[in-house]
Amino acid sequence: MQITVHFYSYFKELTGAAEVSETLADQATLGALHDQLLVRFPKLVAMKRSTLLAVGVDYETRNHVLKDGDEVSLFPPVQGG
Amino acid sequence: MKRQLILTAKPIDEAALLAGRQISAGMGAVVNFLGVVRGQEEDRTIVAIEYEAFEQMVAHQFSLLFDEIATRWPVESVRLVHRVGVVRVNEPSLWLEIVAPHRAEAFAAGQWLIDEMKRVVPIWKKPIFVGEKSGAD
Repeated sequence: MQITVHFYSYFKELTGAAEVSETLADQATLGALHDQLLVRFPKLVAMKRSTLLAVGVDYETRNHVLKDGDEVSLFPPVQGG
Repeated sequence: MKRQLILTAKPIDEAALLAGRQISAGMGAVVNFLGVVRGQEEDRTIVAIEYEAFEQMVAHQFSLLFDEIATRWPVESVRLVHRVGVVRVNEPSLWLEIVAPHRAEAFAAGQWLIDEMKRVVPIWKKPIFVGEKSGAD
């Protein structure tokens, strides 16, 4: 299945991209996608524990099962205000 | 509970916001809060902060937070304005108004909302240091 991944804040600089596409096996989890992205973009590894993961506009945990066409976002801790 | 969220790249127009205030007869407290850009970030002098937002998710997450306020406090209305883009030092980046029957719930709801915003609402800031170019230059 195909997943579109969006990066925000300085994750765009770490990856050199605002948006990428990833191919995953059906029933893959958000955690599996994150691990795959850490291999593709090693500069994200240092931020692994503090990375926030969202599917659409909701936060999800690493064991969330993805479906084809999902839009996933990765970003560092938020800093509004 | 009435609610309003505005994300804007324009300066926050406090006078217009105050002119738009609506309070019913049973309300006895209005808490207004302004978050203002400080001139120092990590011990360095800055001229501005550039705010970036994942706007659809910002709207959704604030909606969830407003829902939670409605369940926890007898708040009549919440209005929140947050800047995106470049905000210069001393300019407000955040404007908040809570209207409630009494001050305790107005202060509590406002404090809670800002704390939660800083935890879950996807807005990020990038300091612009002296001598750096910004989108406002």
